[in-house]
Amino acid sequence: MALTSIQVIAFGMIAEKIKTKELVLEYMPDTEVLLGYLYQQYPDLQHTKFSIAINKKMAVGKTAIPVGAEVALLPPFSGG
Amino acid sequence: METKRSPKNIFVQGPISPESIAKSIANHSTKTDIGGHSIFLGQVRADEKEGGKVTAIEYTAYEDMALEKAFEIREAIFAKYPLSCMHIYHSLGEVKVGEICLFVFTSSKHRKAAIDACEELVERIKKEVPVWGKELIDNDGSVWKENL
Repeated sequence: MALTSIQVIAFGMIAEKIKTKELVLEYMPDTEVLLGYLYQQYPDLQHTKFSIAINKKMAVGKTAIPVGAEVALLPPFSGG
Repeated sequence: METKRSPKNIFVQGPISPESIAKSIANHSTKTDIGGHSIFLGQVRADEKEGGKVTAIEYTAYEDMALEKAFEIREAIFAKYPLSCMHIYHSLGEVKVGEICLFVFTSSKHRKAAIDACEELVERIKKEVPVWGKELIDNDGSVWKENL
């Protein structure tokens, strides 16, 4: 993958709403920029609760996205 | 070389069979320092939904993160309670109503640690491990499950 792109994977209800489990986007420096892009591209997400994980750790608030990071969009967990 | 404990697989494809649970209990008969086991079993419920009744739950997970998280929880619970043993199994894929989808099993010398650790494990698994359940309805629809 080019250094100027980020890989975003989506799960559950979010994958259904954006109609894909995987996106390759132009590099974005932090989660705020990413959210802005997602809300613009997929207005449905504005009314959907989800969290962002970066390299398998939950990102709280505005968080930097390292180059080459694995970014995941996670709806509320409902295991068990 | 330093040895480091690494994440164990917790996922089972489809339902967790009562036979495998019985076998897991039997496997502890040689560990004679154990005085108490605590077991939690999650079972798929036939909830009434708008448009019909739940017939099954289809589970998906962010597997890599889920295993890392389950390992982190496991280590924290081992550090907090004097346990002899801990086992966690969660289903992936389709589990029909009445079948088992979660099996949490703790053992200790005395009952209290096993009971408290088991309860805390179940709560943390449901809250922190990235697994999603989609409830399949008998009218061919589906609803994303929500944990209360």
